[in-house]
Amino acid sequence: MYTAMRNKSVVTEGREIQRAAELIELGARLQILEAETSLSRERLLKLYKEVKGESPPKGMLPFSTDWFLTWQPNIQASLFMSFHRFMVENAGMHGLDAIIKAYRMYVEHVQYNGMEQVLSLTRAWTLVRFFDANMLKVARCERCGGQFVADVFDLTRGYVCGLCHVPARAGKTRRRLEQFNAEQGTKVTV
Amino acid sequence: MRSAELHNEIKELNLAYLMLAQQLIREDRDTAMFRLGISDEIADLLENLTPGQVLKMSGADMLLCRFRFDDRLLLGLLSSHDRESGMARLHAMILAADKPVEAIA
Repeated sequence: MYTAMRNKSVVTEGREIQRAAELIELGARLQILEAETSLSRERLLKLYKEVKGESPPKGMLPFSTDWFLTWQPNIQASLFMSFHRFMVENAGMHGLDAIIKAYRMYVEHVQYNGMEQVLSLTRAWTLVRFFDANMLKVARCERCGGQFVADVFDLTRGYVCGLCHVPARAGKTRRRLEQFNAEQGTKVTV
Repeated sequence: MRSAELHNEIKELNLAYLMLAQQLIREDRDTAMFRLGISDEIADLLENLTPGQVLKMSGADMLLCRFRFDDRLLLGLLSSHDRESGMARLHAMILAADKPVEAIA
């Protein structure tokens, strides 16, 4: 620990702090900061509190790939991955830079279109890790030709995406229903 | 439209396009490449045009930006008046992101 600190250049550390602060503002969990910078946990904790004004949430990162396969998250995750692919293939970006850029574009698109944002930066980061670890892949929709997030073990011949074939109950979550009932004064249940 | 007027309209659109493109590229190059659908090389080229060159190009008497998507489905999604227009735009975005960018031969 001591030698590590001694060997680190001040400039490098400055950059890492800046990068970490950017990540925190975007909503990154502490685990991401630990994985993506070489700053100590103590420094990161301090930085987090300074930027956010509160302690970071505790607990593990979401670790299941299943979440990305449900309708609403799948669509939005696929959008994020499209941006990410563009940044890697056309803009020559990689690693965290590509993730941050794609995430900013994703947030902008969702906000501009007044949609509910379901992907957090932490989710987006995990998503890319799942791709790197070959746990998720993209499947090409037979109808529109778009590329969508799918389980690596899914059989994707004749795959049709969630936008070409919207399931009947798509997006009608319990929360949405409650909102709907409150507005309409009805008592529709799941 | 009279011909002189037409030339003027084209010139103004070219000017607006080139100036917007330069502004986008200078603000955020990678996002601009996506928005404009252009390659790294074209981004370089546009960014480095001098005001004089921009003016000269604008007067070329033909449009400098071209029709971008030759995809019936994508065009349909972009022009649809569905209630769920947010979903259509999201769908269009996913398809558009995969399209090859304009590059210099």
